[in-house]
Amino acid sequence: MKSPLISAAILLGGVFAFLKFILPLFTAPLPASLIYLYLAIVLSGIMIFGTMSAGGLEAFMGPIYRFISGEIDGPTKMARILVLIVFPLLVGWQTYTKLAPSELPPAENRTIHPAPPGEFVGLANPYPTNESTIQEGKGIYAANCSPCHGPNFDGKGSAALGFNPPPANFADPGTIAQLQESYLFWRIKKGGVGLPIEGMPWKSAMPRWEHELTDEKIWKVIIGEYDGAGQSPRTWEEED
Amino acid sequence: MVYGQKHMKGFFAKAQASLYLAIACGLFGFAISPVLASDPPPDGAPASVSVRVYLTEGVVPLDDPLASAWDSAAESEFNLSPQVHWPDRIQETTVKSVKVRGLHDGQAIAILVEYQDPTEDPADAAALEFMVGDQKAHFAHGQEMLLVEGGPVNIWYWKNEVGKATDMSAKGFKTLRPQDQQDVAAKGVWQDGTWKIVFSRPLQTGDEHDIQINPGNWASVAFAMWDGKLVDGAVKEKGSQKAVSSWWNIRAEPAPDNSIFLYVILGLLVAAAFEFVLVRKLRKGQAV
Repeated sequence: MKSPLISAAILLGGVFAFLKFILPLFTAPLPASLIYLYLAIVLSGIMIFGTMSAGGLEAFMGPIYRFISGEIDGPTKMARILVLIVFPLLVGWQTYTKLAPSELPPAENRTIHPAPPGEFVGLANPYPTNESTIQEGKGIYAANCSPCHGPNFDGKGSAALGFNPPPANFADPGTIAQLQESYLFWRIKKGGVGLPIEGMPWKSAMPRWEHELTDEKIWKVIIGEYDGAGQSPRTWEEED
Repeated sequence: MVYGQKHMKGFFAKAQASLYLAIACGLFGFAISPVLASDPPPDGAPASVSVRVYLTEGVVPLDDPLASAWDSAAESEFNLSPQVHWPDRIQETTVKSVKVRGLHDGQAIAILVEYQDPTEDPADAAALEFMVGDQKAHFAHGQEMLLVEGGPVNIWYWKNEVGKATDMSAKGFKTLRPQDQQDVAAKGVWQDGTWKIVFSRPLQTGDEHDIQINPGNWASVAFAMWDGKLVDGAVKEKGSQKAVSSWWNIRAEPAPDNSIFLYVILGLLVAAAFEFVLVRKLRKGQAV
């Protein structure tokens, strides 16, 4: 008969392997703390199931108790001494890692796309998207935006490297494709310094373009940007 | 009655066993959690996000960029960009990245910056920038933010032809001024295409316009470098034409806290005592 202890070990190992290696093939990897929590739940389940009856309790816990109390012989005896020595050391090590001062700077929760001020909500681009406005917009982009946001609209311009946060990658479906044109109009016109506190304006290198570009040029650069990045703006209709 | 007593005894034995088991599981989980709970760093994270200013019991090389003591401090490296935030921008700078090390002794701090610049020129210059006080300041000279009240910045500036540091303040463009109270020293050495410049200062200056450095506390730092080479009779990079970074983090190491080891020993003892009690109980009564 298979020992319930071995079944339990196989079950735990299997659940760990599934959460750690197989699940990430289908979805985002689970944070280690969550895996840990799931394993703890599985372990409690195993314990409850294994100890429900007196016979089960003996079959389940007997080998563990005999191992710990030392009523065993042969190489297992050495293993027992090793476990008894290693366990306190692990606890000590873990106490140290929990208490040791961190060398990591405090985490910052920067909101990448904070809510725009009211006056910029729902503005429509007064210029049509056509070959002429696209070309004009791309020209303005090349002269002003591409050093940071890149000639390929991917945020990898030659001047991008020193900045934290890095310049936005417009080709990424998580940036301008999620936003309306009015949002881009706000961000370009007011620049990094126009961000609310949750956007951490003190870190952004984005210029306040209203000092250098007319509204017309800003609207046209938006047209050129969407076309160049192969994205389309989010519209009100899609929200319904 | 007899049956009841026996029944109760069995119940207590079981409860006791379960309790031990629960404690063992808890301790074991605590012990192995670092093995399970370690997430890899996120993709695309930059190489350095902070400067660690090491606490040394030796002499802090306040004016010696070549001192061997610098070898004891691990370096951080930060990429630089051309200053694009403000007009008069240039799109290419000579200095592409800067390596930074820090040392302090509880009284004074020295920060070494090291970067490639193929030519030594009188107008070569470098600067460190810090936020002052509790209010966040924009990295471009603490310029005005539209929705957030910003604070001032403290700039430690060094220029080759001047040969010393200038302790400066700014809060917005065109407000950069040398301070009345000068607290910063600097010394630069150019060798084989590399500038090594050490900036130094007491940790605390008593000047409200300065960053006050408290070991253990995180602060914000940014860097700027100018290549002063003459191109067609004009200095290549000057004023707002420079290589810059935005804000990164800096922290002077606090004095080591030895009380941690007390807790570690306590943890060891608790675990060992638990083992001892468990083994004894099991041997005595076979709890199950």
